[in-house]
Amino acid sequence: MERTVTVVPEAGLHARPASKLVQTASRFDADVSIGRPEDGDDGLVRADSMLSVSGLNAARGESVRVVAEGAEAADALDAICDLLTSEVEGADGETGEADGEADGDETDADGGDPT
Amino acid sequence: MRTLTGVGSTPLSGVGAARWYRPEADLTLPDRPDPSAVDADAELARFESARDEAREAIRDARDRAAERVGEEEAAVFDAHEQFLDDPELVGDVEDAIGDGTPAGHAVNDRFAAAIERFEGLDGPMAERADDLRDVRDRLLRALLEVDSVVGLGDLPDGTVLLAERLTPSDTAELDPDAVAGIATVSGGRTAHAAIIARSLSIPAVVGVGEPLREVEDGDDLLVDGAAGRVVVDPDPEACAAAAGTEATAVTERVATADGRPVEVAANVGSEAELPAAADRGADGIGLFRTEFLFIDRDSPPSEDEQYEAVAAALSTFPDDRVVVRTLDVGGDKRVPYLDLPDETNPFLGRRGIRLSLDEHRDLFETQIRAVLRAAASGGGADSTGGEGLAVMFPLVSRVEEVEAAVAAVESVAADLDAEGVDHAIPELGAMIETPAAAFLADRLAERLDFLSVGTNDLAQYVMAADRENDGVADYHDPLHPAVLRAIDRTTSAAAGADAWVGMCGEMAGDPALTELLVGLGLDELSMSAVTVPAVKERVRAVDSAEARALAEEALACDARSEVRDLLGIDGA
Repeated sequence: MERTVTVVPEAGLHARPASKLVQTASRFDADVSIGRPEDGDDGLVRADSMLSVSGLNAARGESVRVVAEGAEAADALDAICDLLTSEVEGADGETGEADGEADGDETDADGGDPT
Repeated sequence: MRTLTGVGSTPLSGVGAARWYRPEADLTLPDRPDPSAVDADAELARFESARDEAREAIRDARDRAAERVGEEEAAVFDAHEQFLDDPELVGDVEDAIGDGTPAGHAVNDRFAAAIERFEGLDGPMAERADDLRDVRDRLLRALLEVDSVVGLGDLPDGTVLLAERLTPSDTAELDPDAVAGIATVSGGRTAHAAIIARSLSIPAVVGVGEPLREVEDGDDLLVDGAAGRVVVDPDPEACAAAAGTEATAVTERVATADGRPVEVAANVGSEAELPAAADRGADGIGLFRTEFLFIDRDSPPSEDEQYEAVAAALSTFPDDRVVVRTLDVGGDKRVPYLDLPDETNPFLGRRGIRLSLDEHRDLFETQIRAVLRAAASGGGADSTGGEGLAVMFPLVSRVEEVEAAVAAVESVAADLDAEGVDHAIPELGAMIETPAAAFLADRLAERLDFLSVGTNDLAQYVMAADRENDGVADYHDPLHPAVLRAIDRTTSAAAGADAWVGMCGEMAGDPALTELLVGLGLDELSMSAVTVPAVKERVRAVDSAEARALAEEALACDARSEVRDLLGIDGA
């Protein structure tokens, strides 16, 4: 089974989101692979490989295709797509009143990163 | 027993076994054998056990980072472990071994290919290449049984770390409980690495020069930071004597022999350093650097996180003053996510208050909000006895900057009022680090509650001498008459405007200069916590009239050498 989703985390599939995704993919009894839809089956890489997931270099807003096979394929697919489509990757929760400030800061920070 | 002399940087002593830190250590592999001569099964087993060893080291490093720096920073080691266990990478290495490549070469080859891939990518992805190098080196070290290079955070107890020179991040990684001392071939006592060593209370002697190179791994060493010497094969008497020169903590506030109070406070670079500052009897915090909240992470700290840090400082020193310096990045202090520009002369570029009032105004306002809220949890500006919260702005060079910063504080206060959030306006001050600020000290003082002289930068800018450049170390000394005059101008201007003046540069922590500084009219001296006891002891012995006469004489000197002679300091 497979699904195509749009990457939501600000940082794309970098650093912590990538790390989380690899952890999640390794947790299920399923072979999960991930790639850009336009690259077809040849572009799919193992979702349990940090090297491969980081190497995709997928940015926020890009579409990625997730393919899962095996006993827990459905659960794995749900968990991975959840991660890819959640804003915050479970970092320390920023609460109520600080939110506005923190968001502004993060936009600024990530805008600067790729340069 | 053999004695080498250098510059005492942390005035503590420690004894331990020498260990050279060579970051580029020799991980050279032997020549590649003929594939038929390789026992693939044995090599696979070696690879497996090297991975186990590396995994254990990564987990140790992770735990330590989480404990000392925080979860955010520790997360990088999770990625390291994922690379170590990466099915593709491990599979590739195992395939290569199966084809008759020894484990070491297989690791080297496969990682090289992966590193190259990441080096070609932009921004944060390129940092993955560093992570891969780190993991590769751990594996190679295990395979080659190179144990002379361990991670700086992994040093065994009783290590005296020797290095050509240390970087600030190297030093920050050290475990003060394990490292008995540091000695370096080059570097000065005002380099950032030396300052960090002091704040971690690690005995240190820097700038020992060529003779240090003759020391070998395993040699017994005494690092005597008070005397500025390194003793090879010290006898027990020498060790005891060095330990005996350390001053004991004085908890009460001190005054000169004739009764003029002088606050002796501590410079602190993280929450973790607060208890040590209190233990050493500091009268509060004269410089609370807030950069630690911003570095080694992917995004800026939230307002609440900053509030907690400042409130923690205030609660450690409920009866004293805590001076928070707003974010001071730029120059040589980089924060990846802030997208600071590459500049030809970063020390003369976008740094300190210049960033805070302009491109990073949002960060500045968040920080001010946090600080104003924290001020309500402490004394606030209505206290007069040197207690409560104070805020100062770094790298001021124009009156308009102070006006804009004060206006920003007022506007944040108005916002908090409107939101009904508890807050108070702390004392406000400017750092005097530029010649411009010293010239304008009267105008700045009129608008503020206090000034704080940052002598490291002030000496750098007055003398036009890069503080990290050993070639101009002679110039970079606050005892040059030009620097003393800039300090004197600042204290005189502040006295006229009823503002107090502190000093938070390294100069403040040198007991040999205490009398001079009291004579120059400083009300507060703030330093690495480790030097607080010695300076307090010294203040008590000073007579303020004699100190003023000494300062007048120093100000009248033509040369640093004359100032040194006057103070009875050996030329270095």
